[in-house]
Amino acid sequence: MIEVQHLTKRYGPVTAVDDVSFRVERGEIFGFLGPNGAGKTTTMRVLTGYMPPTEGRAIVAGYDVLDHPIEAKRRTGYLPETPPLYPEMTVRDYLTFVAKIKGVPRKERRVRVDASMERARVADMANRHCGKLSKGYRQRVGLAQALLHNPEVLILDEPTAGLDPKQIIETRELIKQLGGDHTVILSTHILPEVGQTCQRVVIINKGRVVAVDSPENLTSRLRGSETMYVQVDATSEDTKRALEAIPGVTQVSLADTRGTVNSFEVSSEAGRDVRRELAAAVVTRGWGLLELRPLRMSLEEIFLHLTTDESAAPPEPAGADLSASAEASADGQVGPAEAAHEPGENAHE
Amino acid sequence: MNNVLAIAQRELKSYFVSPIAYIVIGFAAIMFGYFFISLLYYFDRVSLQAGVGFGGPETVNVNEMLISPLFLNVSVILLFTLPMVTMRTYSEEKRSGTIELLLTAPLTDVQIVFGKFLGGLALYGAMLAVTLVHIGFLFAFGNPEWPPVLAGYVGLLLMGGCFLSLGLFVSSLTRNQIVAGMVTFAVFLLFWVINWIASFTGPTTQGVLNYLSIVEHLNDFARGVIDTKHLVYYVSFIAFSLFLTVRAVDSERWRG
Ligand SMILES: Nc1ncnc2c1ncn2[C@@H]1O[C@H](COP(=O)(O)OP(=O)(O)OP(=O)(O)O)[C@@H](O)[C@H]1O
Ligand SMILES: [Mg+2]
Repeated sequence: MIEVQHLTKRYGPVTAVDDVSFRVERGEIFGFLGPNGAGKTTTMRVLTGYMPPTEGRAIVAGYDVLDHPIEAKRRTGYLPETPPLYPEMTVRDYLTFVAKIKGVPRKERRVRVDASMERARVADMANRHCGKLSKGYRQRVGLAQALLHNPEVLILDEPTAGLDPKQIIETRELIKQLGGDHTVILSTHILPEVGQTCQRVVIINKGRVVAVDSPENLTSRLRGSETMYVQVDATSEDTKRALEAIPGVTQVSLADTRGTVNSFEVSSEAGRDVRRELAAAVVTRGWGLLELRPLRMSLEEIFLHLTTDESAAPPEPAGADLSASAEASADGQVGPAEAAHEPGENAHE
Repeated sequence: MNNVLAIAQRELKSYFVSPIAYIVIGFAAIMFGYFFISLLYYFDRVSLQAGVGFGGPETVNVNEMLISPLFLNVSVILLFTLPMVTMRTYSEEKRSGTIELLLTAPLTDVQIVFGKFLGGLALYGAMLAVTLVHIGFLFAFGNPEWPPVLAGYVGLLLMGGCFLSLGLFVSSLTRNQIVAGMVTFAVFLLFWVINWIASFTGPTTQGVLNYLSIVEHLNDFARGVIDTKHLVYYVSFIAFSLFLTVRAVDSERWRG
């Protein structure tokens, strides 16, 4: 349904998107994940025909966006990063105008405007001026605008930005409903969103594709080796020695000490479950086994791992890391990769 | 064509929800009224001297003495009002991001530019409609000929079209509407004084500069003559400016 081949976009000296290729099948919900300045908006702008690519091709709904822009645009609904609203128009007038320029036949206009207001839950604001709406409502009117002509392809740039938690959930539900009939591409910084709504994800960093896969596969692919978290009530040296002696265990590292309680991270060969041996080793020695659980890499960690510098250390799902990524997701932004993009950001104006 | 009208209509409505339409039309009405009264006063004196009263046997022509100079004065009004009409057209859309809606809708650039042009032209038409009141007085109390008046309005509409298309082009170059307004005013001024500059130069340059002057071409229209030469000038001026606007929008796209 959507095919992007070796897409490159340069703004003068800044390469915003660098040789990006991917395919999205009909009915799929496809997520764009990446830190600020990664090139998500730029890729979407090329897909919607807002700007041409510097190199490469983009095919949307069977039409090349450069060769047949009108045909491609007819089949695309787009919610830009800033909802494109005219402040002096009422929501209804605005959507009617959008219906006209999108070529919705006169007879169907009213019905389609009402239906899209219903879907984006803005019907209660129908007669309010767009300029007087709150941020969240603006976003929703923007979404109504994208859905208006019932396009095959929906391209949504941060559809949940600025929404309250209840609306975020409802919008995700809406997007899930839209998948199937529509092909949806959405971008976001919020990682759980991708796991919940998207069937496949592309992670972009500095204009390059770092990974394309389903959220589940990404999680397991990156795990590489299995890691267990073990909390034992015993001296650290004894425990460490005992755990290292178990066949299949490759590494044991002390994660935390509280009084006599020590926590370890135990890595084992991939695919080998050492939980029984671990438990037996502790219990037969008469120590207290307080906790034993597998450590999974969350999407956050994968994201941070993939988008922070390539040369950086391999993923360390340690306690400290977890809290850092929890912080990052709390405000929906991802910190570390941002600093690397300062020059690009400055080139914006 | 429906798309063009949709854009023109939205454009026109947006003038009337902002103060712009009222300022422009109000200013035009006052200025036109002022020119009208002073010319009428002058005309009245000339008529008296010629020994005829208003409405008497016409040895002094209303069209020539009053309506024609009145039309020529309208260019001053346009100089001040039309930059206000065109300054926001593109600049504001770029600044607020609504341009993303237009450029990703199934529209061609030509449709967008033409729609905006028609919207501005419609507002200008409303402005001209107000001046009909004054002219109406002349028809009520005197008996001017109507074909020259009609020719004059055709000329005014075309001249305004030139200014509007030029303003649209300037607006497409910047996202700051104040800058757009000021630059547009400066460019208008240049086209307005160009035949004045021409009077200081040699005969060939004078010819060229006079030809370029938007206002110069109004003379014949104001006198009631529709000459294809001037018609061609105005229409090609408008077409060329709109073409430049389309190019500007497109090149902006490539640059990002
Ligand atoms: N109009 C522009 N002119 C110059 N550079 C630009 C322009 N738009 C974007 N860029 C640059 O291109 C790069 C990618 O920007 P883009 O907006 O696509 O990122 P993004 O992934 O959408 O980021 P965010 O998460 O902040 O929305 C950035 O380095 C940015 O500075
Ligand atoms: Mg973005």
